[in-house]
Parts: sequence; C-alpha cells; structure tokens
Amino acid sequence: MIVWCQRARQPALRYFIVALTAFDLLGLGISSAELAVRSSGDELQIAAPRLHFLTGKSLQRLHDGAAVPFDFQLTVAAGSRNNVVARALERFVVSYDVWEEKFSVVRLRDLHKSGSHLSASAAEAWCLDNIFASSSNLPPGQQLRARLEIRAAEQKEPAIMPQDTGISLTALIEVFSRPSRPQQEHWALESAPFRLADLKP
Amino acid sequence: MKLALVLVAAAILLQPATRADTVTDAERATDLNVNSRYTIESIGFMDQSQYRLSPSAMEEMRLLIGAKLNSEALNRLVQHVRSELRAHDVTFKLVRGGEPGSVKVLLEVDPGPGRIDVSIPQFGYYTGQGWTAAAEATATLGANTLTFRALKDNDSSIEQMAGIQTSYARHLADDRIRLGFEFDAYADQYDPATLAALASAKPSSLGAGAYSSRLNFEPSASFVLAKPLTFTIGVSFEQLQPGFSAAPLESANAVINTLRYHQLWSSDATTQQLDAGYSLHAATTLLGTDLAYTRHTFDVDYLYKHAQQLLEVSVLAGVIYGRAPLFERFVLGDSTDLRGWDKYELDPLGGNRLAYGSVTYGYHILRVFYDAGSVWDQGNAPEARQSAGIGVASGLGLLDRGAFLLAVAFPLRQGHTEPVLIAGMNF
Repeated sequence: MIVWCQRARQPALRYFIVALTAFDLLGLGISSAELAVRSSGDELQIAAPRLHFLTGKSLQRLHDGAAVPFDFQLTVAAGSRNNVVARALERFVVSYDVWEEKFSVVRLRDLHKSGSHLSASAAEAWCLDNIFASSSNLPPGQQLRARLEIRAAEQKEPAIMPQDTGISLTALIEVFSRPSRPQQEHWALESAPFRLADLKP
Repeated sequence: MKLALVLVAAAILLQPATRADTVTDAERATDLNVNSRYTIESIGFMDQSQYRLSPSAMEEMRLLIGAKLNSEALNRLVQHVRSELRAHDVTFKLVRGGEPGSVKVLLEVDPGPGRIDVSIPQFGYYTGQGWTAAAEATATLGANTLTFRALKDNDSSIEQMAGIQTSYARHLADDRIRLGFEFDAYADQYDPATLAALASAKPSSLGAGAYSSRLNFEPSASFVLAKPLTFTIGVSFEQLQPGFSAAPLESANAVINTLRYHQLWSSDATTQQLDAGYSLHAATTLLGTDLAYTRHTFDVDYLYKHAQQLLEVSVLAGVIYGRAPLFERFVLGDSTDLRGWDKYELDPLGGNRLAYGSVTYGYHILRVFYDAGSVWDQGNAPEARQSAGIGVASGLGLLDRGAFLLAVAFPLRQGHTEPVLIAGMNF
C-alpha cells in the first residue's frame, strides 16, 4: 500500500513540478532561459536564444495587423541584486506584414534603426542585439549579474509616448518601476554571475 | 431662435474632420506599423450584427478607406466605435485585400458580459403637433437584450399616444436568427380635427373609432436570409379599449411579415446606401381578430454621397384592404414625410392609400428638400401635395445617433402658407 502510494506520488510530484514550471513560464512569464552576456568595446551585449516573447496574445495582435510595442530593461547588478550599476532601457515596436507574413522591428529611440523581413525568432534576436548596457563604469573585478525584463505594452497604450522623437527614459523607468498588470505579458531572465574581466569579446 | 443658434453652432462644431485633419503629417511620418504602406480597401465588422453608428463615425470610416493605413487614425476610429456602441472592447484585424497592396479592416466588437445603456433615441418638435420624445434603457446579457422605452409620440400616427414599449430579444446562430417578444401599452388622445371627422361620418374603411388605450403583444422571429437581406415574421395581438368604458374591447390581430434589404457601398470619397423594404400586415379571422384587413407598404431609400455633397431619394407607397384601425392608417404631413403640411388638414383620419416621394440635396450641413405625395381613401381621387424646405442637419434624418435636424418647411400651395419649424435630435 505504501509502495503504491510512493510510486503514485513520484509521477504526481513530477507533474506538479512540471505544471508549476509551466505556470511559472507562462503565467508569470519568468523564463529560465539562459541569458548570455558578452563584452563589445564599452558595451555589454546579450543573447538569449531560448527566449521567445513573440507568443500568445502579443503574437495574435501582430497577426491581426497591429503594431505591438515591447519595453526592454537590461540591468547589471554588482553584489546584491538591488545594487544596480548599469541600466539600459529600450522600446521596440514590432509589426507583422499581413501580405509578406514577415516581422518588422523599429527601435523607438532611433527610428532609423529597424529590421524588416524577419522571422519571429529573427525579430526577437534583433531586439536583443539592439539593447546594450554601458560597461565603462562597471567594477572589473566584482561579481556581476545581468537581468533582462521585457513587457508587452498593453493594447490601449500608444506605440509612441508623448515625446514623439522617440521615447523618454523617464517614461520607461516609470514603466518598469511598477509591477506588471495581471493581464500584461512579461518575461524576465537572469544571467549566471560573471566578472567583467572574464567576459569574452 | 436661441434653439436655432445653438443647433447651428453645434452643427459647425460637430462637422466631421477632413482627411487632412484625420491623419496628421506627424502620424504619417511616425507610423511604425509595417502595414502602413498598404491601402485600406474596406472597413467592416467581423460578425453579422447590424451596428448603428453616428454620421461622424461613418464619415471617419469613409475617410480612412482608400488611404494608406494609419495606426493612430485607425485606433481613434476603434475607440470612437467602442464609445458609440458602448462596447466592452473593440479591436481590429487586418486581412489581405482583393488587390495586392490593399488590406481590409475588420472590427470585432466585444459587448462584454452584460451592460445597461440609456439613450434618448428621439426628441423632436413639429409646429402644430408639439413635442415627440422617447427615452430608452437597454440591458444586454450575453445574447439576450431587454429594452424598455417610454415615449410620447404626436408625430408618426393620427393618434397621439403616450406609453411604454418593452421588448426581449435573443440572438442565435451567430446573429443570423433573432427571436423576440414585445409588449406595448399606450394611452391615446386625438386632435379635435380627428374627433370631429369621426363624429361627422365614419368611413367604411375605418376599422375602429377612437380608442382610449391600446395594448400590443407581439412575438416575432427575424432571419438573415442572405446578408444584407433579412426576413421577419411575427404576430401582433392588439387590444383596443374604446373611448366609452361600457363598449367591448376590439382586437386587431395580424400576421406581420417584413422583408428588408440594406446595403452600403463605400469607396475613397463616395458612399452609396440602399435601404428597401416590403411589409405585410394581415389581420385575419383565423387569429380571432375583430378587424380584418391587410396592409402592404413598400419603401426605398437611396443615398449617394460624394465628398461634401449628398443626394437622397425616398419613395414610399402603401395600400390597405379591409377595415384597419387608426394606428395602421397612412399619414403624411409629419416631421419625416411631406414636411410642411399639417397631417390633420390633409386627412384627419389618415388614409388607406399612400404614394409619396422625396428628394434631398445636401452640401456640408445644409439641406434642401422637396417632398410630394398624397394620402387618400379608396374611391376618392388622390390629390397631390408638395412641400419644400431648407435646414441644417448632421445626418439624413433622426435615425442616427448624434444626428440633429433643424429645418423650415413650406407647403407649396396657392394662398396663404405658414412655414413649419422642424427640430429634432437623437442622442
């Protein structure tokens, strides 16, 4: 009887963990995907090949022909997570060509910076390739940790905020200073601890 | 005069934006949607429902059609439609158009789990007939709609009625079928001319004299045969309480059939709309009616609008066989038909024959119209009447939400004529 229970509970426990993980990934949008960090001159660049944010409601809105803004925040913390020593904020506006069935991305800070005729994964990668954190003021020998947060702007939110040449940093800081709304799609992932001196260019 | 000034000012303020106003240069330059290079071929709704939009919303739609897609302008339209329909949410979907480089915009309306709307669908004044007004509350829960309306109507019929209308409707099969039940109760009064005509000689075609109140029970079903053609069938059980309390109730129980066609065509700067219908009321002894009659009406309304100009042509015809009560008899000389004439002067009891036509020309908010028609009884020679008028309006009549009309109409006849003031609003 006890054996039966233990046998029964082991898969149940596995299912529970899998379900919890799925809930964690889908419901809360916290991804365990690896965030890789590399150094390029005075900038830190990131890559996250397993992260997919063109999914769910946002993807449906894109397929319906709407332009969907995504807000990105890349922070680098030294020591504790609260000790943020570098921060980068960007808004990318993604849209989907209903005739060509390809994605386009525009970086709002610089409207001339854009990518077009992209697949979904290429559009995601384009966004990650175009957000950098300055590494000039980072302590070279201290243990660092990078964190990337992404939020899909809500449907009623205009793609361009009041400062129409792009987007104000203040506005984006405000976006990330408040918790995401329950219905809002958001993702977050962290890198493994690293030292600036150890990063490969 | 003050009312006129207010309405004219409102007309100027409520004018629809031109294309340049609708889409600003800044918006064009900063539209980040890759689909902004495509031309909007058409704008419609995803479901089969018939939505009632104001002239300004229709104009906003018309201005977007034929232009390059602009996300901000489209979002403004979506919010406008959401506000007018009082919907929980309205979203848009782009699909490929018929031609390469064009897209169709489909609006999806989410009415929400339940809501209550309150409106004043009719509010008007007509010289000699006074005020007509209706207030309406509608509760929607899923596919069920319950409507309660209180009204005072001195305009549309020979009788002057005040009362309530309650109706329940359930939409089925993706809105292709609508089942409904309506209950109406009215208290009736009559113009002295009508009472005098009733006292002098009762025409053989009149099915009942003056009644003090009227009750109506009306189950019905509507079917979308082939969009935009709809067919409605129902049964109306009317009970008429005679003016003298000792007199027995009279009933007018009729099968009601209506066939309607409504189509809208829109291109870059031109809108055409055709609305046509045929209605048959057949009161038969099979339904236990005291008054047996059949009433046929046929109406066509065609609108052509290009830029700031419009032309509307309306035709209405009807014939009644048998003894129909006052509320079924035809009337001309009110705020919509043969404007400028006094309906009690034309025929204080209404008629059982009707022929009518109207032409309206509009430029911007200015309206000029010419009406001609006759209402008469079988056996009498019809006498053609004509009228003309001028005014301002935001729509074509009072049927559209937010529409208003202020006009002066003149009966065209020899001798002394007094102009009639017509004012109305729907909000």
